Amino acid sequence: MEDFEPKIITFACNWCSYAGADLAGTSRLKYPPNVKIIRVMCSGMVNPAWVLRAFRQGADGVVIAGCHPGDCHYTVGNYYAKKRYILLKELLKFVGFDDERFKLLWASASEGKLFAEEMTAFTEKIREMGRQEKLRRKIE
Amino acid sequence: MNAETLERIKEECRKLPAEISYIVGFVRKQSEPREVVAVLKPDEVDKLSFSPLSFNNPARTVMELAKDNKVAVIAKGCDARALKQLEKEEKIERENLYIIGISCPGVIDYRKFRNTVKFRLAEIDSVELIGDEVVVKAGGEEQRIPFSEVIFENCLYCEQPTPKDYDVLIGEPREGKVDFSDIEEFEKLSAEERWSYWMDVFSKCIRCHACRQVCPMCYCNECLVDPSNLAVSPMTPAEEKAAYPRVLGRTVNAADNLIYHIVRVMHHAGRCAGCGECERACPMELPLRKLERKLEKVVYEVFNYSPDEEIPFLSKLDILPEG
Repeated sequence: MEDFEPKIITFACNWCSYAGADLAGTSRLKYPPNVKIIRVMCSGMVNPAWVLRAFRQGADGVVIAGCHPGDCHYTVGNYYAKKRYILLKELLKFVGFDDERFKLLWASASEGKLFAEEMTAFTEKIREMGRQEKLRRKIE
Repeated sequence: MNAETLERIKEECRKLPAEISYIVGFVRKQSEPREVVAVLKPDEVDKLSFSPLSFNNPARTVMELAKDNKVAVIAKGCDARALKQLEKEEKIERENLYIIGISCPGVIDYRKFRNTVKFRLAEIDSVELIGDEVVVKAGGEEQRIPFSEVIFENCLYCEQPTPKDYDVLIGEPREGKVDFSDIEEFEKLSAEERWSYWMDVFSKCIRCHACRQVCPMCYCNECLVDPSNLAVSPMTPAEEKAAYPRVLGRTVNAADNLIYHIVRVMHHAGRCAGCGECERACPMELPLRKLERKLEKVVYEVFNYSPDEEIPFLSKLDILPEG
């Protein structure tokens, strides 16, 4: 457990957050390499089952990143994302899972700095929390 | 929920409008005192039966039938709620329905009933609810059981005992209540206690999908949790089959079962009729309603939404909390 490196899955929307992450890269801002980005067309298409599957496959944290409310390329996709996020987070809390490991982030294409900062902060938080053991697939 | 109720139901069924081609009601099972949902022709009214053991939800049957028939349905509060929800989701049309609403005092938990009743199930002639007592009659003998001993636990928290939307109503209207005291009680436990409770519960789950199968809201033709929705032919190689996308693991262990139940429940947000069919169908007797009711609580408290509203929860976007 000495050198624990958290694994963080980020579902980033194609139009805002992915471009934001890209901007962070092109403007040479550093954020931890623990963050693995999966590009999706809209944060509204992120199925709660994917989030749970990510935890099952050993992710220590999951972030859904999308456009700010009102800025969605598909008008309302991020509202759906937020609705699902609240429901899933409450359920995870209810069953006793550390719901802090699951995060929703609004980051626009121009907010490369914000994206890098938020990701660094989240990675540090997960690093303190330690490995996610509850849902991780174990060899049984 | 006594002989009088049944007489009223039969009476109403005899004077149905002429265009109605089927009655979806309850018919007593052979050799068991409980009723099951059955589809009858309007001239078979005499087969109908009704008792506190008519606990099943006819909404799924009605959904299949009411596509191109006019159907009369005998509905308790939760059944009418499920029908209303299906109507909101454009699965049935209200014009095709004739709802005989029943003001329901709650139904009996069959598992508790089987353990309490002293007669053999096949011998029981009638089960009636008179006042606060369940009166079981068998071969001239009689057993009186307090209703509170055998009531289905879910009915204690019933929000809608009387249908809101009906053509005829049988019985006096009852007031429902929004009560999440059991969930609040559970939330007081620490995260570790809750986790070990659910792990204990879901380690028993055998993932038979009965809860999904009976649920009036789970009507999708293709379900996310099914092993694979892609075509498999005898020529499909094993490697290809193994690489098919799937959301859930193949294993039946507590964590995978938990994921299955969370995904299942998530799909019922703001839609659940609260009939408790999932819990009744569960062969392992798991407390599935607890997870469902937690979600109902979130929908009530965070989104301030009631499932009885006209606009479906999914399409209502102005209910999100700030921030």
